[in-house]
Amino acid sequence: MELDFLHNGITILDGAMGTVLQQRGLPPGGKPELLNLTNPALLRSIYREYVEAGSQIVCANTFGASAPKLAGTGYAVDQVVSAAVSVARQAVQGTGAKVSLDMGPLGELLEPLGTLSFERAYDCFKEAAMAGERAGADLVSIETMTDLYEAKAALLAVKENTRLPVFVTMSFERSGRTFTGCTIPSMARTLEGLGADAIGLNCSLGPDLLLPLLKELCENTRLPVIAKPNAGLPDPATGAYGMGPEEFVRALLPCLEAGVSIFGGCCGTSPDYIRALAKALEGKTPAPRTYRAAGFVCSAMAPCFLDGVRVIGERVNPTGKKRLQQALLERDLDYVLDLAVQQEDAGADILDVNVGHPGVDEAVLLPQAVKKIQSAVALPLQLDSTNPEALEAALRVYNGKAAVNSVNGERAVLERILPIVKKYGASVVGLCLDEHGIPPTAEGRVAIARRILDAALSYGIPAEDVWIDCLTLTVSAQQDQARETLRAVRMVREELGLQVVLGVSNISFGLPERGAVTRSFLTQALAAGLTLPILNPNQREMMDAVAAYKVLSGEDAGCRAYIARFADAVSAQTAPAGPVSLTLEEAVARGLEGDAGRLAREALNTQDGLSLVENRLIPALDKVGADYEAGRAFLPQLLSAAQAAQAVFQAVKTAIAEQGGAPVKKGKFVIATVKGDIHDIGKNIVRTVMENYGYEAVDLGRDVPPEVILDAVRAQNIKLVGLSALMTTTLPAMEETVKLLHTLEQPPVIFVGGAVVTPDFAAQMGADHYTKDARQSVDIARKVLGV
Amino acid sequence: MREPLRYLGVRGEPDPALLARLSAAADKLTRTVEPRWVWRAYPLIHGELPVLEGAGLTLPGALAARMLAECSHAVLLACTLGAGFEALLRAEQARGMDRAALLDACGSAWVEAGCDEVQAEISDRFPDLYLTDRFSPGYGDLPLSLQRDICGSLDAPRRLGVQVTDSLLLNPSKTVTAVIGLSDRPQPARIRGCGFCNLRETCQYRKGGKTCGA
Repeated sequence: MELDFLHNGITILDGAMGTVLQQRGLPPGGKPELLNLTNPALLRSIYREYVEAGSQIVCANTFGASAPKLAGTGYAVDQVVSAAVSVARQAVQGTGAKVSLDMGPLGELLEPLGTLSFERAYDCFKEAAMAGERAGADLVSIETMTDLYEAKAALLAVKENTRLPVFVTMSFERSGRTFTGCTIPSMARTLEGLGADAIGLNCSLGPDLLLPLLKELCENTRLPVIAKPNAGLPDPATGAYGMGPEEFVRALLPCLEAGVSIFGGCCGTSPDYIRALAKALEGKTPAPRTYRAAGFVCSAMAPCFLDGVRVIGERVNPTGKKRLQQALLERDLDYVLDLAVQQEDAGADILDVNVGHPGVDEAVLLPQAVKKIQSAVALPLQLDSTNPEALEAALRVYNGKAAVNSVNGERAVLERILPIVKKYGASVVGLCLDEHGIPPTAEGRVAIARRILDAALSYGIPAEDVWIDCLTLTVSAQQDQARETLRAVRMVREELGLQVVLGVSNISFGLPERGAVTRSFLTQALAAGLTLPILNPNQREMMDAVAAYKVLSGEDAGCRAYIARFADAVSAQTAPAGPVSLTLEEAVARGLEGDAGRLAREALNTQDGLSLVENRLIPALDKVGADYEAGRAFLPQLLSAAQAAQAVFQAVKTAIAEQGGAPVKKGKFVIATVKGDIHDIGKNIVRTVMENYGYEAVDLGRDVPPEVILDAVRAQNIKLVGLSALMTTTLPAMEETVKLLHTLEQPPVIFVGGAVVTPDFAAQMGADHYTKDARQSVDIARKVLGV
Repeated sequence: MREPLRYLGVRGEPDPALLARLSAAADKLTRTVEPRWVWRAYPLIHGELPVLEGAGLTLPGALAARMLAECSHAVLLACTLGAGFEALLRAEQARGMDRAALLDACGSAWVEAGCDEVQAEISDRFPDLYLTDRFSPGYGDLPLSLQRDICGSLDAPRRLGVQVTDSLLLNPSKTVTAVIGLSDRPQPARIRGCGFCNLRETCQYRKGGKTCGA
């Protein structure tokens, strides 16, 4: 379809379908999509009215025509979509109006909030999009999205499986965020990067409240912008929408000034609104747009404009870190998440993620690591790999706009990686080296940087998305190179105007008091123009140096962030210190995580890990457990102690990994929240407490089908299984799981718990134990798996 | 702080250190997450069972009939802390289950506080009518299966981002749906005590011969 008209002048879309159908007799809760087959004449007349009112594009009645939403109706997606599109085609015949396939949310929440996987969502959208193209749709409109991740799945599905142009509109609240926390810059720059043809906002608010959000959207994209507001807000006493056609149009017109060029209506609007809109927009042109060109990466929730110094945390990289290497080999992504969380708390702006290690399949593990980190950390990620399969797999499941680390000046590398970077709209780090090695002069490095930039531009990657790493060499080995690196930084910044990256800590390798050298180099590099230092944010003095630099450069206006940073430090220093003679046992009992970890590391100098756990940690935990039993301590204290115990365990694990020994493990148990149950905090509490007694959890997660639990038990020869259920509606799934496990020749011991589970229910369903709390589960584990 | 302590099962005078950590969790929560809600009033048709006109919704069971006996209208409401709370809770779980448990308890109290606000908004909107207690699917004999109808009538998936799962759980987790009757006569408090609580079988307070006071 020719979309040229989108770029010169105004395009008029249609108004609501759902609320118009309700006015014309569709019962509340009825499925509008079924009318495509049962009452096409009604739909034809509505399309016709919209076209006569001035709509140049009408949306076929396919908002809910997806596999999850049609489940149980007896109709297939293809059937509904092809009926809908062909009815719309008939209605617009001879008018010049176009027909858009309409794709709304799938009605199930995606991971991590829900249980629908990104891949499954993609497949559902793919099915609808392909059906739409076959049926003769001219374009696709993805609408009313509140989860950027779901919008991405839909957009990719359309782009990869059809040749149709695609519009994407999302629904924002007055706060400037969607229900899932997505921001306007994150939405705009992610969807533009992924290749949408036009983007905008629909539903949720009236035009008056949408206006400021549309202004922000126009500043964050070069694409044509769409406005499809509701007819005001519905009155809770009557359900009626607040704005009539005239008022709606009056409130919508100022959007022209912001540069919006595609207009329509959502809930509560009708052909009358579109008629008034078309009349009011006649002969008007949208105001010219001012795009804020800027380096940018983001997650859905956290936009990160690169208009100052931004710290990239380097800790998720196994080079030289035995404990992380071990975790990666065991696929222990909880440990990876720990590293990510620590860096977020330490003030990093972006996190580098590298899982490359011999024995690790990066193409499998990198996307898993991305999902795991994004489930709990809002910071944007820099995906660090040279493996194109791993990069593509990770970029695909990444929610937001990521960075890729890295390419270099070698043509083959550029040709391999840049198309992937372009496809997913990522930023890319280019290293100033090529097949001939690292040029010894700044001029040589800048020449490579220029080559990388030109290659990126030729793939359609804008200059603001190209970051150059001028390369830090070890000063004790090549002393003249520190100066060349700093010169290259200045030249790339001044001559090419690009973002500059440096992994700074390498500078001091092999020297004593490394911090002094690294900090001095960092400061000089920042002064030369370094914008993206890669460093360990847990080293406070490095972050202090960055904070100080931001004061001197003026980025930290009014020195506010600097003062706040050290105000916290002062109050921490004056806070009463704990008793000097604190023992490990006391630290655990009182839940002092930091102290417990420190005391454990000290103790490990003279005591082996196993005896530390058996003779000191577990008795300390038992004491807290006994207090809990007796009602002298409560759940928070029990969990604090568990947390402190975890710090001890981490110390033990690190010590063992350093010595290359076998990890401390007692026995394995399977734990899961049963099928249909999606809330898992109770299960996680039980898991944490049991792990701190040294039992190894095989955590199958939430909403786990009985067969999956059976398979895990069989495959790993598990002796103990814990099941959790929260609702009366999921007790049957628990019972089914118990019954299935009892079909094994030697069934495991099963303990059950959760809000609605009672000792009677437990007995009825044939579980071996009812556990009222996490503490009891430990007693059962001791009996079954040994102390 | 009384409510979150109750959710955590803390009895007696709480330890000051615990109280401080709980306040910090509450503070973080209330700074970052606001309860959001939708509600809609429907005229009631009194037949064998109360029917909400315009929603096409019949409320089965003795509880609804008793609660709404003297009412001309019924309000359906849904109130949620949304996905923002879930994200915060996942992040806190990564930092430690102790912090997560405190946040979770604060979240339960915060969504109830949101419901109290909705109730005040409804009172303001209908100054001449009296409100019944709010009651929710799962209370007494009001079936959980109503979750789907209530969320459907309120267009809660679209307007609040709330989904009802196949097993009738509300997602995001800190979401409450409820019914409130509107009457021209003052309405007595009817929802009180352990009889309406899903946790009555295993409650630690009850075991100790006490109630939680809710």
